[in-house]
Amino acid sequence: MTIAPPRTTRRSSTTSRTSSRTGSADAARANRGGAGLKQDGGGRGGSGAVARVFGNPVPQPPQHGKPGGLLRHLNLGTALLLGSAMALGFGYLANRLTKSGATDATFAPLAPEYTYLAGLFGWALGFSIGIGAFDAPVRWLLGRELTHADAEYLAGKNLGWQRYFKYTTDHKVVGIQYLVAAMVTLGFGGLLAMLIRTELGVTWAEVFTPSIYNSIIGTHGIAMIIAMIVIVMGPVGNFIVPMMIGARDMAFPRLNALSLWLFVIAVVCLISSLFVGGVQDGWSVYQPLAAQSPPGMLGYQMTIIIFAISTGVASVNLIVTILLMRAKGMTWVRTPIFVYGVFGAAIMGLYAFPFYQYSQLLAMSDRILDTSFFVPLQGGSVWLYENLFWLLGHPEVYVILLPSTAIMLELMPVFYRKPLFSFNFAIAGIVGVVALSGLVWAHHMYMTGWAPSANYPFMLSTELISIPVGFLVLVAIGTMWRGTVWTRLPVMAIYALVFNKIIGGITGIYLSDVPVDQYMHGSMFVVAHFHYMLMGAGLFGAMGGIAYFFPKMTGRMLDERAGSIGLWTAFAGFQLTFGSMFVAGLQGQPRRVLQFDDLFNISNWLSTIGAFVIGLGMLIFMGAIISSWIAGKKAPANPWGSKSLEWQTPTPVPLENFRVLPVVTSRPYDYGVPDPYDAEMIANEKAREKQAAKVAV
Amino acid sequence: MKRALITLVSVIVGVGIVVGVGYVAFVASEEPAVIVAKPNGTMQTPKGELPHAVLDLSVYPNSSKDVPAPKTANAIQANWLSGQPFYGPSTSIQVPANSVVTINFTQYDGGGTIYNDFFARVHGSMDGTISWNGKSVKSIPQDQMAHTFTVHQYPESTQPYFFLSVPLPQNPPDAKTNKAGFAEQPQQISVTFITGEAGTYIWNCEFPCGDLYQEFGGPMQTRGWMAGTFEVV
Amino acid sequence: MILFIVLWVALSPLGWLVTDAMNMTGAPASKVMEEIQQTIQVFTIVSMPLCAFVLAVLLYSLFGWKHVQGDRPKFESPAIRTNRVGVGLWVGATSVLALFLVGWGLVELAQITANAYGTIPSDEQPDDEKPLIVNVTGQQWVWTFEYPEHDRVTSAQLYLPVDRPVYFNVTSKDVIHNFWAVELGVKIDANPGAITQTGVTPNKIGTFNVRCAELCGLHHAYMQTKIRVVDNDDFNSWVREMGGQKTS
Repeated sequence: MTIAPPRTTRRSSTTSRTSSRTGSADAARANRGGAGLKQDGGGRGGSGAVARVFGNPVPQPPQHGKPGGLLRHLNLGTALLLGSAMALGFGYLANRLTKSGATDATFAPLAPEYTYLAGLFGWALGFSIGIGAFDAPVRWLLGRELTHADAEYLAGKNLGWQRYFKYTTDHKVVGIQYLVAAMVTLGFGGLLAMLIRTELGVTWAEVFTPSIYNSIIGTHGIAMIIAMIVIVMGPVGNFIVPMMIGARDMAFPRLNALSLWLFVIAVVCLISSLFVGGVQDGWSVYQPLAAQSPPGMLGYQMTIIIFAISTGVASVNLIVTILLMRAKGMTWVRTPIFVYGVFGAAIMGLYAFPFYQYSQLLAMSDRILDTSFFVPLQGGSVWLYENLFWLLGHPEVYVILLPSTAIMLELMPVFYRKPLFSFNFAIAGIVGVVALSGLVWAHHMYMTGWAPSANYPFMLSTELISIPVGFLVLVAIGTMWRGTVWTRLPVMAIYALVFNKIIGGITGIYLSDVPVDQYMHGSMFVVAHFHYMLMGAGLFGAMGGIAYFFPKMTGRMLDERAGSIGLWTAFAGFQLTFGSMFVAGLQGQPRRVLQFDDLFNISNWLSTIGAFVIGLGMLIFMGAIISSWIAGKKAPANPWGSKSLEWQTPTPVPLENFRVLPVVTSRPYDYGVPDPYDAEMIANEKAREKQAAKVAV
Repeated sequence: MKRALITLVSVIVGVGIVVGVGYVAFVASEEPAVIVAKPNGTMQTPKGELPHAVLDLSVYPNSSKDVPAPKTANAIQANWLSGQPFYGPSTSIQVPANSVVTINFTQYDGGGTIYNDFFARVHGSMDGTISWNGKSVKSIPQDQMAHTFTVHQYPESTQPYFFLSVPLPQNPPDAKTNKAGFAEQPQQISVTFITGEAGTYIWNCEFPCGDLYQEFGGPMQTRGWMAGTFEVV
Repeated sequence: MILFIVLWVALSPLGWLVTDAMNMTGAPASKVMEEIQQTIQVFTIVSMPLCAFVLAVLLYSLFGWKHVQGDRPKFESPAIRTNRVGVGLWVGATSVLALFLVGWGLVELAQITANAYGTIPSDEQPDDEKPLIVNVTGQQWVWTFEYPEHDRVTSAQLYLPVDRPVYFNVTSKDVIHNFWAVELGVKIDANPGAITQTGVTPNKIGTFNVRCAELCGLHHAYMQTKIRVVDNDDFNSWVREMGGQKTS
């Protein structure tokens, strides 16, 4: 059948086949440099050079040196070298400059603190310089604009595998980098989780001393939180969203690369803290307890300060991209639900993370500069810290939850071949969650005695937020209703997600009720609840999303057998672990304890067995990802037969995503609904044929 | 086939990493060797005649050539805790059950004012007193405290409730000290208490003798220095 | 539909199982705890239909409606974009549920607050009983309890007379702790630099637990002690034993 007139593509159920044919030819042409750039060789910087970008001549600024400039020589290796060198250098300098034996007013030795902080700072600065993050500001200062050739180099054109180890701006490369970085962080957090459960399972002895155990749980918490924030927004948000909205890249490609490398820097800061005493105060590092901890706390604070910048930058990028770069014809009604989910999460991340960064900056200042923001005896307030922290802490869990729920809602129409049930209510759910998320934070503070009369309105807002979350569950089960399900791995994850979300949501209602919270706060019941939401709904959803987009992102199909075995093993273990944990919490086991009453032994043994099963399942899933990435079956361009834009690109996706930017004419989930444009075009064809036949006769 | 192999290898490598890191953390968690109270005949108590055991503990203001600092997880922690007080020879203490135990403290450190005067008093000893340089007292003045030895509850409801708190007085600020900073004539405190059935407890110091916020950081939060385990076997 | 009823019935015992778990150490030992347990039971019973419905749909979608496997889908399902009745029912049901829970919770909270602060006379509190005041101090890592009306007797265990309201003034000497009298159903943070208050009337004699429920450092797990609820005479003799003169 003929393709639609030039300069437009539209959604139809057969587009996948045709576009892959044309698409791959285009990709080949593009990769052979077919974009038609005419430029001088290095050095001469001829002004008046003109580049042909998609056939259009675009005047270029002068070219300085080879395309890419300094970035030709900068990569992860140079970054690590420079980062380590500057860390050691700054640390050594700080050590020399601090008087030997100097202590602060509370007898704490200053040298280790200053050394570590200077080392962290040196690491962050050195790594950023070494990876090329300062290339853009320096260029601006020198008045050298990016030429098209520079931009193509930055985007990793023709660089092969090396582009994954450089400051590459191509959103697809950043997406893959995020995937690897997030998986490594998840693995780190999971490793710590196995250690935690070992300690809690060995109920007759202390396997680790309390200080090591406390730092294991704190680091596990923050590593998992960081990884979960990033696991969907990073890989899928970066790789897929621009394609899903029909754009060529994100709005700010260099900020995109920056947010990724800042994330890498932050995670290394976190891991380094384990060697200097660890983060012994939970992931929420309440003051003033954190003011008593070893220098590892500085590592935590630095991690958060840097991570908040990374998230802020990424959020701005996503918001602007989604607002301004949607394809022509993609009105809000025709925007896929995943885009809404990511948009909502980005908005929440943008307003919430500064609170977190601020709280850690103040805490660091208390520690290093002897201020007393949070020191009660000197006029500070511990409640100030708690409020600042939870102002982030609550929206943050929705930043984790929304993208994975949205990704599930995104893929459900594909696997049920029916439109998303009540698209409007899905949007209402997302908008409701975003709007209410900023009004509920003090439900984490019911028991602090901060403002007892404030408990009433916060209870109201918290119970109300269950309604928009319920809308999302409504949309999910409505889409399942009377639908034939194509049982492939991505959609099976949604069963895990909805099951866990219902349990997590209902137990959340218990906790939102102040009298019940009076018993449950600080017990293992809370731990089980948030694991059900963040891990049960968040992580399993992310796993489904990664399985869904795997063919597009890596060009191979994910091994379904191994992936399913991994997913369901982890699911079974998950129910055992956190189901028993609810029981332990009801019995009265507090949080963050390494030894407890004999009464809780059975629940903890069951939880530990379950945890090892989860670990095994997750390792199998990770093994499936690795093995499929290396040796998986090659994937067609649209293996799931999806109608949305990102699947209308060839695999591997060419640098510019779309040869011609698409124009959208129909809603994204119109499976089972005859395409009106189709019908009109077929009618026109028939009319023309009849006309031609009449003429012939 | 190749895929299955790679998956299997990934899983094995993953398990190996977990076990490896766990082992490293376990080794780093090692606590000082246990010191056992030595049997010392029997003693008459309000509960009848019970076997008697004796234990000697010292409190040092910092480490010295003759008294090395307790083992730490790594060199960085050793640096962080250098110059901080600690209990010796060990903080892992074992005493016999259903006995009467005497602990003799030799206290070499200076001190100050304790924040909570509850711990300036004696709790849980046999007759409510301790012996301070030979004198029998029920409490130490609040502003002459150096450390405490406070044994308290393991979160185990099946073992008997046990609470012992011994205030340890300071060496006065004008006391003569040797080169290492130890008082030349340390304070001698002795406490006698009765143990019940077997159980595991922990102890820590309740005087702000560490650093950072409220001087409860550093060695106060480190096993082997100012906190440890107390087993009744 | 049948699946829904079956699941609902199967899940109902949870309402009682949860409170069984909570009662394993002698709870409830006060009216507050009884009300908390009642709230949990009600919440469980009321959420069961919703839970059962969602689970029923999940199961039915896998085993009831058709499913296909394989490489390429060759089917299209009924294009249900929305269903006013269904959406209306769901939104209505969840809103009613949420508002009911909010309402119940607000009323409960008011009652418990009345017990804690004595601002509103409640029927749980006999008017002729003078409340006992206990100052609770959390310190790393020991709880100490002071009885200001009894010559400031201080102890590491919490002795309470039965059937007499007690108000706790809770504070901390160093970091944030959380005073959790488990079976009495009372919990409040112990903040440095501030005094927080809560109150309860224990109505059962026995030995219960105080646990610290906010990470407070090395021995947070070991910051526990016992509550001994005894009758009034035993309480007075204990006070005398501890050196206090004034008894009530």
